[in-house]
Amino acid sequence: MEVERIQELIAKYNAMTADPSELREIEQLIERGIIDISDLVELHAIEEGIESLETPVPSMSLDDKFHAMLQTEKSRSRPSTLFSWKSLFSAEGLIPKLSFASVLLMLGVAGGMFLRNSDQETIKGLTEEVSDMKEMMMLTMLEKESPTERLKAVSLTEEMDQASKKVTTALLQTLNNDENVNVRLAALDALRQYAQQGEVREALIRSITKQDSPLVQIALAELMAAMQAKSSVKELQKIVHDDNTPNEVKKKIQESIEVLS
Amino acid sequence: MEQLSDNALMLKVKDGDLDRLGLLFERYKRPLYGFFYNMSKDGELAEDLVQNVFFRILKYRYLFRGDGDFKTWMFHIARNVSHDNFKKNKIRHKDPIEDWEDHIRDDNDRVTSIQKDEELQLLSMAMDRLPEEKRELLLMSKYQDKKYKEIGDMLGCTEGAVKVKVFRALQDLKAVYKQLEKHM
Repeated sequence: MEVERIQELIAKYNAMTADPSELREIEQLIERGIIDISDLVELHAIEEGIESLETPVPSMSLDDKFHAMLQTEKSRSRPSTLFSWKSLFSAEGLIPKLSFASVLLMLGVAGGMFLRNSDQETIKGLTEEVSDMKEMMMLTMLEKESPTERLKAVSLTEEMDQASKKVTTALLQTLNNDENVNVRLAALDALRQYAQQGEVREALIRSITKQDSPLVQIALAELMAAMQAKSSVKELQKIVHDDNTPNEVKKKIQESIEVLS
Repeated sequence: MEQLSDNALMLKVKDGDLDRLGLLFERYKRPLYGFFYNMSKDGELAEDLVQNVFFRILKYRYLFRGDGDFKTWMFHIARNVSHDNFKKNKIRHKDPIEDWEDHIRDDNDRVTSIQKDEELQLLSMAMDRLPEEKRELLLMSKYQDKKYKEIGDMLGCTEGAVKVKVFRALQDLKAVYKQLEKHM
């Protein structure tokens, strides 16, 4: 469209002489962004008038109501919903968090050194107490009906630095008398670390003929071979000569005897 | 210190830092109040509606994505609040021509009592007589700084279509204004 025509339309509108078809033309030009409302003098004045209309000021009670609502919402929001990894590592909060962590670390190190230097006796005492408690718990659990509980009891001995005679005796009793093969195998496994003790070693050799489970028999034979317990050969041979012993077991035990001979 | 943008503040609100909404409230309570006041001419109601807008902002904060303008989002909520209110109260808007005499008598008192700026008072009276959707459009244009594209997003039409709607609303306003002027 020619520039002259656009100017003519604007002039006609401003002179209030534009007819309906020209008004439609003006609308189209406004839609396309060719004519701006500010080009139309009277409308521009009205627009400016609207801009100048005073915006009243709300009362203070609006502020009060808003802040009361905000407080209610804050107390309703659970802390867990406020956590985000993003905020954890945000630059804004990182420095104080790092400072806090450093102070905490230093306190920990200092505390550790202090304890090491002056409270070694206390720690020793505490360790013994914990050890006693574990022992008591283990002995109680070994008497439980559930094999799972008894297995847990056996595994507790693995956490002990040095088991007492009470513990090894309990383990040996379990090895010889527990009705569950898995518990007996676990007990044998736990006793492995104490096999160098003379009493335990002897008790293990005596245990060979008491076992009716081929699995436990084989495990014991392998342990004897590993320990080089030559005195166990006699006991092992009893199993080999027993007619009830399965051939596979006899073969395995014979292998161990050959290692020991 | 550089001010945080509206969007940055709102994203913090979304992340759970609710106190930041206080800053947005300070920035926008007056424009919103002005919008509602000019829609209803009732100060108390306007305050309740502003409160309602911020209540919805809090309630639906998880919906704010931050890819659009906060102000547009807020006015979108304000418009819904306004519509809900007008629907609920069925505020009548008689044909502007029908009961002019009564209104002019009341408004005339207002004009003479204020004795401030007659033209502006007349314009304000003319605004009150515009159909709701046209009054709303002109007020949104005023309080959204004539951002026609954003208004178009809100109304679901193009920027050009908003300009034409504004043109028509201004034309009507001009007509009402002139008729009022004759009766002064």
